[in-house]
Amino acid sequence: MKHFYNLLKKEVKELLTREVIASMVFMIVFFVFMGKIIKGTKEEAKEINISILDLDSTQYLQNVLNMVSRQGIEINPIEAEDVEDAIKEAKEKNATVLLVIPSGFGAKMQEMEKAEIELYSIMKGLSIKETISSEIIKSVIRALNNSIATSFIQKAIPGKDPADILSPIHTKNFVILKERTIPGTPGVLSILITSQSIMIPLILVMVIMYTGMMIMTSMGLEKESKTLETLLSLPVRRSHIIAGKMAGSAVVGFMMTVVYMGGVRYYMSPMMESPEISIQLEEFGLSMTPLGYVLLGISIFLAILAALSVCIILGVFAQDTKSAQTMTYPIMLVAFIPFFLSMFKDIETLPLALKIIVYAIPFSHPMIASKSLIFHDYPTVLWGIGYMIIFTVITMWIAVRIFKTDKVLTAKFPIKWKRH
Amino acid sequence: MEKAIEVKNFVKEYGNFRAVNNISFEVNEGEIFGLIGPNGAGKTTTLRVISTLLQIASGSVKIFNRDVIKESASVRKLISYLPEEAGVYKNLSGKSYLDFIAGFYSTDRKGKTIMIEKGIEIAQLGKRINDKASSYSKGMARRLLVARALMVEPKLAILDEPTVGLDVVNSQEIRKIIKDFAKKGTTILLSSHNMLEVELLCDRIALINEGVIIEIGTSQELKNKYNTSNIEKVFLEAIK
Repeated sequence: MKHFYNLLKKEVKELLTREVIASMVFMIVFFVFMGKIIKGTKEEAKEINISILDLDSTQYLQNVLNMVSRQGIEINPIEAEDVEDAIKEAKEKNATVLLVIPSGFGAKMQEMEKAEIELYSIMKGLSIKETISSEIIKSVIRALNNSIATSFIQKAIPGKDPADILSPIHTKNFVILKERTIPGTPGVLSILITSQSIMIPLILVMVIMYTGMMIMTSMGLEKESKTLETLLSLPVRRSHIIAGKMAGSAVVGFMMTVVYMGGVRYYMSPMMESPEISIQLEEFGLSMTPLGYVLLGISIFLAILAALSVCIILGVFAQDTKSAQTMTYPIMLVAFIPFFLSMFKDIETLPLALKIIVYAIPFSHPMIASKSLIFHDYPTVLWGIGYMIIFTVITMWIAVRIFKTDKVLTAKFPIKWKRH
Repeated sequence: MEKAIEVKNFVKEYGNFRAVNNISFEVNEGEIFGLIGPNGAGKTTTLRVISTLLQIASGSVKIFNRDVIKESASVRKLISYLPEEAGVYKNLSGKSYLDFIAGFYSTDRKGKTIMIEKGIEIAQLGKRINDKASSYSKGMARRLLVARALMVEPKLAILDEPTVGLDVVNSQEIRKIIKDFAKKGTTILLSSHNMLEVELLCDRIALINEGVIIEIGTSQELKNKYNTSNIEKVFLEAIK
């Protein structure tokens, strides 16, 4: 254990260079900066300022507009002769939208006839802010329509609830999924499950990427700095050397993942807010139990071990840090296969050949587990854990075998390009 | 006296290339034994095999009666190997590097401290011992590596070109340290291109060429045999 700790300390010191620390600090600063910009833009977009040119001199909309202004939307009446002057004035007042009520609007409303209003959106650019503003304006118009329709119904059929006439059919939605009947629509359920299970694959891919890169770099550094021969001649077990490298790379890789994911979460948080979906999966009995969290933790841990043991075998073939980092790409690609597939498809619904490939990739199993555990499907998760244990034991055994032979010093890829 | 090294009919091949061809020699405990020969003669391969780093095709290599292949873990406790092209961990300071190595040999904290102090004394880097190894010159790094190899007081020190990259003053200093260690009982096996160095340092010498040992003896015996004034001339005569 003393030797392992000694090796771990050395690995962390070697991998956690000033450059690596600087890149982590830069990542934090970058994401915080970008997050603040996006948050600011979203707040700014909420500041809607509506100018109104009432050519009908009607007070018909006043009640509705009062209701809208109570939602924090600024409303400014404009005194102008025509639309052109009104646009000029609205621009001066920094309005987001100009609402023109044409003459005769009130009369048509009195007769419960369809009337027209003109809406001039004043765009200041083509940024995301304008898109958010236009969504808010659309909801204002919806509120206006709803309010006027309600007043029409109240006038035409007194004593009747206008809501019953506007939506006479009330649907109760149920989804039948894996022998469970869940209240809700497939769309909402899918969004909820995906939003809960997307983070695990994403984090896993990032951890595999960073830890894999670290262990490869560690092997590349040993060869580049010509320290490997000395290390292998020291009185320390080969398995301790491998374990030290894996643990050291995992520590630095985790640090980088935490920084990256923390940054991404901060950066994405303003965009991820979705107030429309307030239902929680817990209400449907679709939440992870404490046992589920333990199994997911084991599954992720084993996937990382599997990735590290494959990477250390590949790292043996590295001649320097540059070639070591290039060798990380195949592992990353393999990790991305189940990641993208799990984003767009349910692995269970894939064709058999593709399903076999996905199940053979050890990194698929935590991604599958993150969804299966929501449905309390423990056998699938346990099979995955069993497979990953077998995979990791075999790859680690191969790694130790390689380190016990002189292949660790002499191995090179046998590919030789023929010159013509 | 126990034999420190016993090499019998050892053959090492890299694919179809035979790097070392059926060599045999013995080194006594406390002796300084030198392997000399041109580039590609098989010196480094021999040292790597003795250091448990490479497998052999046939023959046997024993260190203090322990087989380097079958009992490699036990052999590693007795030896300290300095490769010719060794480097140091760039992100560690000289002192941290010595601390890292001492961690594998010392059994207690006190022993480790003594070992590190010994290493600092051999390396003679002054205050620079606390600087990162990436800032060291080639000579400074080599001194640190020699210190690392000797501070652990191994039963057998295997030194591949110990003074490579060092200036005359530093080379002499290192040679003196090697001699002192041998006097205290450490067996030294070294290789060198520098025939003068070998002549000055070694009790016995083996001349190796194209994977075969062509002569073994004291420098005086070899000079007498070939009737020459120095080992360089002996070598040239021997390979004719």
